[in-house]
Amino acid sequence: MSRTVGLSVVGEEDRVTVQNYLVGIDVGGTFTDVLCYDLAEERFLSAKVPSLPGEQWRGVLDALEALGIKHGAIVAFVHGTTIATNALLERKGAKTGLVTTEGFRDVLEIGKCRRLIGGLFNIKFVRPAPLVSRDIRLEVPERITADGEILRPVAGIDFSEVVEKFNAEEVEAVAVCFLNSYVNEENERAAEAALSKLMNGTHICTSSGVVRERGEFERFSTAVLNAYLTPNFIDYLDTLANELEGRGVSAPVNIMGSNGGAMTLEKAREFVANTFLSGPVGGVSGAVRVSELADQHNVITFDMGGTSTDVALVSDLSPRISHANQIDAYPLQVPQLDMHSIGAGGGSIIWVRPDGTLEVGPQSAGAVPGPACYQRGGTDPTISDANLLMGRLPTERKLSGGLVLSYELAKKAFEDVAEKLGAADADPVRLADSVLRIAVAKMAGAVREVSVHRGYDPRDFTMVGFGGAGPMHVFLVAEELGITNVIVPRFPGHLSALGQLLADQRRDYADPFKGRLREIDPNELRDRFEALRKTGASELDGNGFGPDRQEFEYVCDIRYVGQSFTLRIPWRPDWTSNEPLRDAFNERHERTFGYADEENDAEITTIRLTATGVVDKTELSFEPESTGDPLLEKRRAWFNGEWIDCPIYDRACMRSGYEFAGPGIVEEAGGTSIVPPGWHVRLHDSGALVCEYRDEG
Amino acid sequence: MDQLGLLELIREALIAVVHEMRANVIHSSYSSVIYEGHDFSCALLTADGRHVAQSDGDTPIHIIAVPYSTRVVIETFEDDIHEGDVFLHNDPYTGGTHLNDILMLHPVFSGGKLVLFAAIRYHWADVGGMTAGSLSGQAREIYQEGMRITPTRICEKGEMNETFLRLLVENMRLPAERMGDFNAMHGTGRKAEEHVQRLLGRFGADNLLEAVEEILQRSEDVMRRRIRELEDGDYYAEGYIESDGVSSAPLVGRLKLTIEGEEMIADFSGTSAQAAGPTNVGPSMTLTSLGAITKAFLDPHTPINHGSFEPITIIAPEGTIVNARHPAPCGGMVEVKALMDTLVATVLGQAVPEMKVGDLKGGANHIYTTGRYPDRDGIFILYEWPSGGTGASDGVDGNNCVRQYNEGDFNSIHAIEVVESQYPLRVERSELRVGSCGDGKFRGGLGLRRDLRLLTPSGALSVLTDKCTIPPIGVHGAANGAANNFVVVRGDEIVQPSPIPGKVSGFPLREGDIVRYESAGGGGYGDPLERDPRQVARDVRLGYITAHIADIRYGVVLDGGGAVDDAATSRRRKELRDARLHLTLEAANEDHYAEDRRIFQMPSAIAKRAGAAEGDLVEIFAGTGPLVRGWVELDDSNGESAMRIGPDAFHLLAAVPGDSVEIRPVCREPLA
Repeated sequence: MSRTVGLSVVGEEDRVTVQNYLVGIDVGGTFTDVLCYDLAEERFLSAKVPSLPGEQWRGVLDALEALGIKHGAIVAFVHGTTIATNALLERKGAKTGLVTTEGFRDVLEIGKCRRLIGGLFNIKFVRPAPLVSRDIRLEVPERITADGEILRPVAGIDFSEVVEKFNAEEVEAVAVCFLNSYVNEENERAAEAALSKLMNGTHICTSSGVVRERGEFERFSTAVLNAYLTPNFIDYLDTLANELEGRGVSAPVNIMGSNGGAMTLEKAREFVANTFLSGPVGGVSGAVRVSELADQHNVITFDMGGTSTDVALVSDLSPRISHANQIDAYPLQVPQLDMHSIGAGGGSIIWVRPDGTLEVGPQSAGAVPGPACYQRGGTDPTISDANLLMGRLPTERKLSGGLVLSYELAKKAFEDVAEKLGAADADPVRLADSVLRIAVAKMAGAVREVSVHRGYDPRDFTMVGFGGAGPMHVFLVAEELGITNVIVPRFPGHLSALGQLLADQRRDYADPFKGRLREIDPNELRDRFEALRKTGASELDGNGFGPDRQEFEYVCDIRYVGQSFTLRIPWRPDWTSNEPLRDAFNERHERTFGYADEENDAEITTIRLTATGVVDKTELSFEPESTGDPLLEKRRAWFNGEWIDCPIYDRACMRSGYEFAGPGIVEEAGGTSIVPPGWHVRLHDSGALVCEYRDEG
Repeated sequence: MDQLGLLELIREALIAVVHEMRANVIHSSYSSVIYEGHDFSCALLTADGRHVAQSDGDTPIHIIAVPYSTRVVIETFEDDIHEGDVFLHNDPYTGGTHLNDILMLHPVFSGGKLVLFAAIRYHWADVGGMTAGSLSGQAREIYQEGMRITPTRICEKGEMNETFLRLLVENMRLPAERMGDFNAMHGTGRKAEEHVQRLLGRFGADNLLEAVEEILQRSEDVMRRRIRELEDGDYYAEGYIESDGVSSAPLVGRLKLTIEGEEMIADFSGTSAQAAGPTNVGPSMTLTSLGAITKAFLDPHTPINHGSFEPITIIAPEGTIVNARHPAPCGGMVEVKALMDTLVATVLGQAVPEMKVGDLKGGANHIYTTGRYPDRDGIFILYEWPSGGTGASDGVDGNNCVRQYNEGDFNSIHAIEVVESQYPLRVERSELRVGSCGDGKFRGGLGLRRDLRLLTPSGALSVLTDKCTIPPIGVHGAANGAANNFVVVRGDEIVQPSPIPGKVSGFPLREGDIVRYESAGGGGYGDPLERDPRQVARDVRLGYITAHIADIRYGVVLDGGGAVDDAATSRRRKELRDARLHLTLEAANEDHYAEDRRIFQMPSAIAKRAGAAEGDLVEIFAGTGPLVRGWVELDDSNGESAMRIGPDAFHLLAAVPGDSVEIRPVCREPLA
């Protein structure tokens, strides 16, 4: 367990008694990260403790303990959790029953006949089983038409047989999913009420309560995910809340939602399906904040850890949201930050395909045995080993955590791969260089996924590199994509926790309002948006966010008549006609798909509102505490096909305005930035390294 | 390639172009067949028409045939191909699939030299012809199936041929939607060109083209290595299309696969002459089946390109259903492909036993439910193509109602809430078809049962599919899956909407009628009496099969609580095993056929015990070897326990005279 202030470990005597702390806690697979901002002293405290599988809350408490602050002085506490994600991936959710419309118990199993998860040319493909076993998917004689008319009411249905079956099977959670409930939720509500009476204490959720959108498979799937994960999640939240209270934390606990905003504990209890990205979105929120401070409003976030890399696109300081999502093989119709994740991280293993070509990942060496250079028994070369061979990681000095890396073991691992390639005499360093390029190409592919595939040119964006391995690779990925601006925030290894610490509250609302732009009355459109706004405003009021701390974003989903997929076009309340909306849509369509169909009318399919409860944006101070020369030493490192005497810098000693030109390696606790030749770096007032590629031929 | 890793980089970069093309098509298309159905594919090809890169989202049925079309375009225009040209093609006789699948090619140049093509094959929802949607079981010549486009330059050096384009789309239904299809393809091709140009600039044309050759060579090397590991020899298969829609006589497909060193020769000689109805394909489709199934059996993981198919030589006699000539209609392309898939899987199942897999639903299951809206002008067309159960394989049961391993991953039914809000139809049930699986040690997947009620005064039903009377086969001793069944329920009565099942054209529907889909179950793998009884009990508990099926097909006896009664089960299994019917094979000089059907002349006592009358379909197999189907002709001239079969039948069974075969009837419907 280590405790650091800024970048330096502090001892017991440094414990302070300040009254105001903002705390963000991010629970990862290996470590629980906490970042705390001390409002009075204007400085950060951070700690990293091991995560405890099955007892995440303990990691949270340990992390708080490690900070050594007075718990009663915490004013805000936001938590990113992977409870729901882990429970799903390990299939450790509650035993869940389904109550559904007669004739449709197999909707969950059939879907729309897609595999949804690979399988081409795989004769042995096994489709993941639905989360509710077929024998506890029970049908009741209710029916609502597509117009919302009740053909068969719930009143009069005897639920005792259903309940008997559920009790016999020891069902712990129930999803009520009826056809067409997105138009009329009455039957679902009535069934929920009837079941609640008979099943005291069992968690029950309705599909319309979770998603109000057309498409039974996606809606039922989301409701089932929610029901399946709720009991565990509530247990966790209750335990955590009790423990925190017991330790004198009086600040409300908020949970990070997948949409990038925080939820109150009450909201989180009923909307677990909004927490699958609870951890990673913190990084995006953190990146948005540091980007804003560094005056960069259009960024691509690049969060590279040990096993995976998450990227997201942020346009004008707003991360993109995606509405039709999927987790594992299950559709999830909940607005989430549009992140793309690939299995390439610092620990990704390098191997040789049967056709004699090199491949990187998706298998990872993890923390144990870890990369070959960790000296913990791993023999497969990894991305970290490649960096070591190229002189980009130190071999003499201990890393934070006390690890000493072995050059010899890394070299041996690469020699083995060279032999498998039939190139036994290949230089391991050149091989490492090639491998790194392949990994970079994959990561660039992930960036294209969130940019080019969504109609954005990545060259218009600045990349923000963070996570344990992000600052090491962000420059290479930027070069691959033709991106010329990069920033590396302070505390790159703690950015997720920083994002949580600063998270606003956020709720998304949708109205399936439809019509063609040439026919819609602009006043009606405004009225519909206003109705959504009122709903959002009253919820924010209820959570203590007054009008001065409320922000609203309005978006229309639009397509040409005859198309199916929509583009999301922002709408403004001061528009008096639909023309600006049409122009914006035509322009986006042309840019995205190579043509605009201006003759054709366009239609709105849904209108959406995002309501944000703005948390005070404290002026953060990132001033370094150490003094001294940032230039630590020079070391031989491999860049562009040759060994270069490369300066090594200590970030803790850099002051605002400090500049240098690449190549250079910047070391700090929790991250190493590897700046190739051609890049110019300056330490911005906000504490971020602001970097620009200057092609000086 | 002297730079390590450059090859991998270029390969990833080319695949990324295809990914981007796919995203572009899906998001900009105007047709539900594309945005819901994803019935299109993209690829990059070399200047001489070899296929370099596709993504794992692309569909073999479109893509594997693209090189054929591309080569025809190159042969047609030779040196007269320029920057800014765009070509169209859909002619089945020169590499197309069916007329709805339109291919657009954008040539990409570097330094004035043609280097690559960007290709998009895209299903247009209508291309003209005799019926809406252009696919009709009633077509007798290709002119009834829409506009046939032989290699055509639609755009010359950037100058669009507006006259031709207008003529083309004005001869199709919904011309505005067709222009939308055209624009989506053209926009995508232009974006792909830009992207490839960036790669050329970055890697240099020479490096890029050298890498392309290397990528192809590597895939070819892997495939050759895998073929070399197989035992040399000839492997045989035979299968049927039950009808061409004109006559109820089945059509036969025959395949002899020769494995010789690192090459494979696939010979389709003996396959039926081209049909009067639409169950025909042009010359490129044999490679589609061979390519996709071979890839799945031998090398599922190497990135997909033309190199994998170089070791395969195909003999497909002209004028047969697998290489039809003008003017044979080709709208039933998917049905013929399904037959060829079965044949290829059957021969490869003998050469690569560990990959042996039960048969699939067969055919596209095109179902068009149409009618007039009750309350407004205009007609509606609901087009669905429901999946069935997939085949079982050693170690794994088949999957229920889902795309199969040789198909891209696209939707095949619409959301119920979309159907109900857009059409005057109510979906009354959409569920698994209980008991439709092919029974086996590993059982096939279950098909779909879906009921749609018509809520408007009149409508019509059209269906184009196969395997309604000749169901999907099981392998390694397993039973067949239930056959496809598409009927109309009128009150209490079940109405067959056509004299030939599965080939329905405009059957008139009345208000209140129910259109019922029952899609086929997948074929099983292995002897059902060897299935783990606990798995059978679980299948009963989950309602996948009934207790009755567990008893009479699996020999598993359950107690009142649904648990396995072990003692009763082993007795029951012995009883069932003892009751199986066997015949000893004797050699006849020649095989016996009636038209294209194989005839089994068998003792009447055995036929009777098998429950088969004269003219019924039965199947025979030796041990875990391939099964052969034929129609019964009663003949007691060989005594009560022997049957004479010809040399081809011995090849098919991989048996010799004196061997014993098991005989059993083919069950089309699931047991109650």
